[in-house]
Amino acid sequence: MIQLLSDTRYLMIRALRETARQPALEIGNVFIPFFFFAVTVGAIGHVAGRAFAVDNYTAFQLPVAVLQAIAGASGTAGFGTVTDIERGYFDKLLLTPTNRFSLVLGRLASDGVRTMALTLLIVVVGLIFGSGMKSGPFGVIVLVIMGGAFGLSYSGIGMALALKTGSAQAAQLGFLVFFPLVFLSPAFAPKEVFAPWLRTLATINPVTYIVQGMRDLVLSGWDIGSLVGAFASIAGLGIFTMTLVLLALRSRTA
Amino acid sequence: MPAIAAEALAKHFTPEIRAVDGISLSIDEGTIFGFLGANGSGKTTTVRMLTTLMRPTGGHAEVLGFDVVRSPGEVRKRIGVALQEAGLDDIQTGREMLTLQSRLNHLRAADIPDRVNHLLHVVDLDDSADRRVKTYSGGMRRRLDLAAALVHRPKVVFLDEPTTGLDPISRDAIWRYVADLNKNDGVTFFLTTQYLEEADRLAGDVAIMDAGRIVAQGSPSDLKASIGTDVVSLQIEGGADELARAEQAVRRLGGIEDVRIIDDAVIVYVREGSSAIAKLVLLLDEASLRAREVTLKRPTLDDVFLQKTGHHLEAEESASRPPAKPDRGAES
Ligand SMILES: Nc1ncnc2c1ncn2[C@@H]1O[C@H](COP(=O)(O)OP(=O)(O)OP(=O)(O)O)[C@@H](O)[C@H]1O
Ligand SMILES: [Mg+2]
Repeated sequence: MIQLLSDTRYLMIRALRETARQPALEIGNVFIPFFFFAVTVGAIGHVAGRAFAVDNYTAFQLPVAVLQAIAGASGTAGFGTVTDIERGYFDKLLLTPTNRFSLVLGRLASDGVRTMALTLLIVVVGLIFGSGMKSGPFGVIVLVIMGGAFGLSYSGIGMALALKTGSAQAAQLGFLVFFPLVFLSPAFAPKEVFAPWLRTLATINPVTYIVQGMRDLVLSGWDIGSLVGAFASIAGLGIFTMTLVLLALRSRTA
Repeated sequence: MPAIAAEALAKHFTPEIRAVDGISLSIDEGTIFGFLGANGSGKTTTVRMLTTLMRPTGGHAEVLGFDVVRSPGEVRKRIGVALQEAGLDDIQTGREMLTLQSRLNHLRAADIPDRVNHLLHVVDLDDSADRRVKTYSGGMRRRLDLAAALVHRPKVVFLDEPTTGLDPISRDAIWRYVADLNKNDGVTFFLTTQYLEEADRLAGDVAIMDAGRIVAQGSPSDLKASIGTDVVSLQIEGGADELARAEQAVRRLGGIEDVRIIDDAVIVYVREGSSAIAKLVLLLDEASLRAREVTLKRPTLDDVFLQKTGHHLEAEESASRPPAKPDRGAES
């Protein structure tokens, strides 16, 4: 177990170093969420806030920007793995006595760390533009951890596709899953204004609870129920994606 | 206990594609084993099975007594592997890559910097150690790959075509590392190659692969001796017709072991080759045929390869061939 964690740590550091050396690849991951954040708040923030009885639509949208950033940034683990496979470096890693799971967990953890950094960045920008943070500095920490945990879980989708197909295009498909998940959640408007069918779908969508948990931290302060909901949803998603990763890993190394 | 043992080892990708079709091997510890074969003969597939990267579809294999399918972890701890396509990480530096490799092989953290420095020195990469691998030349990549295979002092090392595409200097360097490690540390090497000279020089034993099967196995000198004759090559002027007539003509000479047509030459396996040459040329002359070039040599591994598989090893032409045995040749 200790071996698994220390091997994972070394592989995570390697993946982070790779990111640090290819900063251009991060430009899109930073730019896109900020672009939509600014446009959404700027274009409809005023009317939407009034229409949905939301006092601070900037704060209301902050979690959406965070999720969007994570969905974009957490394709890197899968993409990097495809590159490793194509270069034959993955074989070299497989030939070490390292636990197989460490080989993928290292990259997933690196995505977790990157999404924590992006979450923090978005929160800081949000604060500058008046989103506020009702739960205070400790809330920022919880929000960042939530972002990292979601990032790690979410990157499992791209990783499973990468291992299964060995194709870079497939590894990027993880991003597509994000759109239905986010539009079937109260990302842009509160659930109360939804049509009944949409409300039902939103209720079974884990992203709903993650958005809600993040949003409560920003907008209304500490709400244990909502936090538990968010972390439970992330854990559920994580268990699901890690199962996919393990199955894909087995099919590759058999 | 042999270092590597295989019995009826097979990999059939499909019922038709029998990449490896039941091979048996027993390789002693402390030896260098040369695994010779042309493109597509099944060398890499064999290496991938023996190193736990690929599951056999038939037979068994053990490395240092551990079954490659049942105890892959135990095998991996004890082997070093440099695959045909040097699998490197372009974005790390050479030093970083070797350090990570050492950590994943669970070396003691305190020993790693020294070990990495030592290996960088051994493969002459001290000066480039802190450059990204992306900037390395083909020869440097091979050497780094070899170093990566050695971090944990494996007792058995698999090298899949370690010198293909390298210039003679880089090739000599790799040969030197292999020979030194084998001599000083008793490391067993399983070395695949398309270069007969490489096998001849390094390997105590060789196996010749052809279409997934081992067609000959033994020490290079035994294999050469097994031909038992000299080899006279007659390059005939003209086309297929003349070649066929030439073959008929030379068969009239007594004491011939075998005659084959390879490319534009008639190859005659005969005892006392030097005294046979004049008679062979005379026989050609009687049939109104001319030989453009006549050579006589002791059998080489190439001749063994030719005799067992019916074709040359293509890559041999481009290999560096320092003066091997002097040809006792004669121009006609
Ligand atoms: N994954 C695969 N699926 C199907 N066929 C394969 C696969 N890998 C190899 N083969 C086939 O198996 C045969 C042996 O291939 P292998 O790579 O072992 O040859 P090799 O001796 O290493 O050749 P080379 O000198 O070109 O490296 C070839 O016909 C190849 O096309
Ligand atoms: Mg090969």
